[in-house]
Amino acid sequence: MNNFRNVDNQYRRFKAHVSLFGTTQLHLRNPYAIAWWSAAFPGFGHLLLSKYLRGFVLFIWEVVVNYEAKINLAMVDSFSGHIELAKHDLHPRWMLMYIPVYLFGIWDSYRTTVDMNNVYLLAERENAPYNSYSIGAVEINYLDKRNPIMSVIWSLFMPGLGQLHIHRILTAFFALVWTIVFLYASHTLEAVQFLFFGQIQNATQVLDKQWLLYMPSMWGFAVYDSYINTVESNKLFESEQREFLIQNYQHSRFQIKSGKVVHK
Amino acid sequence: MIQIFSTFEHSIKLELALSTLEQEGIQKECIFAVPLTNRKVERRLFDTMHNSDGVSLVSTGATIGTAFSVVGASVGFSLTWGPIYWGLIGVAVGFLLGVLIDLFINTVVKNRQQLLRGKNPQVIIVVECQDGQADAVENILWNFLASGVARTTCNEHSISS
Repeated sequence: MNNFRNVDNQYRRFKAHVSLFGTTQLHLRNPYAIAWWSAAFPGFGHLLLSKYLRGFVLFIWEVVVNYEAKINLAMVDSFSGHIELAKHDLHPRWMLMYIPVYLFGIWDSYRTTVDMNNVYLLAERENAPYNSYSIGAVEINYLDKRNPIMSVIWSLFMPGLGQLHIHRILTAFFALVWTIVFLYASHTLEAVQFLFFGQIQNATQVLDKQWLLYMPSMWGFAVYDSYINTVESNKLFESEQREFLIQNYQHSRFQIKSGKVVHK
Repeated sequence: MIQIFSTFEHSIKLELALSTLEQEGIQKECIFAVPLTNRKVERRLFDTMHNSDGVSLVSTGATIGTAFSVVGASVGFSLTWGPIYWGLIGVAVGFLLGVLIDLFINTVVKNRQQLLRGKNPQVIIVVECQDGQADAVENILWNFLASGVARTTCNEHSISS
């Protein structure tokens, strides 16, 4: 059940929508920041824009093609100065198809951000009412204020939890599932255990380079996405409440009387 | 007749305060809300639950931190401390670097003024009520986290009477 329905199509653009799956909102974003996240991991830029389906497509594409082409492995070897090894790592059968889609992700998320910033400005000026409360059989979502620091802390512990904190179910589910895959396949936690025992050599050996290199972006994105969305949804709460107060608590007959302040 | 002035931050508590006042018999017409536009010039660098304007020290830090940790983890495979420590060192160094860059841009380049300390009042609420209700109204306002409350008396007729 929602608290708003656009019955006769009288509005053109909406700046936000609260649904059972999460709060979707337009806000100003830096196109370079979004493009950067697409470069770090294809799909992340689109997920930040709440364009989930194409974000998921690009993300899964990245996992598969990067894995088959061994891009991450070649990165590790290149950064370590083993250029010959890096050449050997890469599979030409997969590698060349990596390039166009990778660049498309960056370009498309940059372009979309610029477009959506314009849409945001128009939506903000139109100031159409929007759904701000949603209750159903499986979930309940409403505008609220959350602490951005808590989003960051939970995202650090486990990518996806920060998104759960602010009710972004789709990103949360996706991030949680893929973090499990990456952590398991890269043996990261085994390495951490070795480190607790001070066995750095063993820790290094147990790691899978290809899979490990997915994790820094995953962590960075989870922190950034949950933080930025907490801040923005707090702002949305304030602007919605502002509108509510103006609509309901500004009676035309109310008068401020000149009086004396009473000190108790 | 009494008018009680108070300031609030935007929160669910504020709406609870208004609805409690109405339960106590204060008519909607006797409550006047003025949402303020908070100053945009002095932006805060550290966002909190109560205040956030999108300018923060985290964005550049998260960006550079991620990049550095990818490189750190990669190079770490051929260093003594291994990829996990070097990945973490990469994040820490990158994050600090990003924070420093943001600090530099926000304080030196844009020469921003000193940050405002404390919480900002965001909404002014004026409640008109009978003399006998004033204590109850004040209590409600305080209970729902008003940042300041003041009571004024006046002799004119109220709109509710």
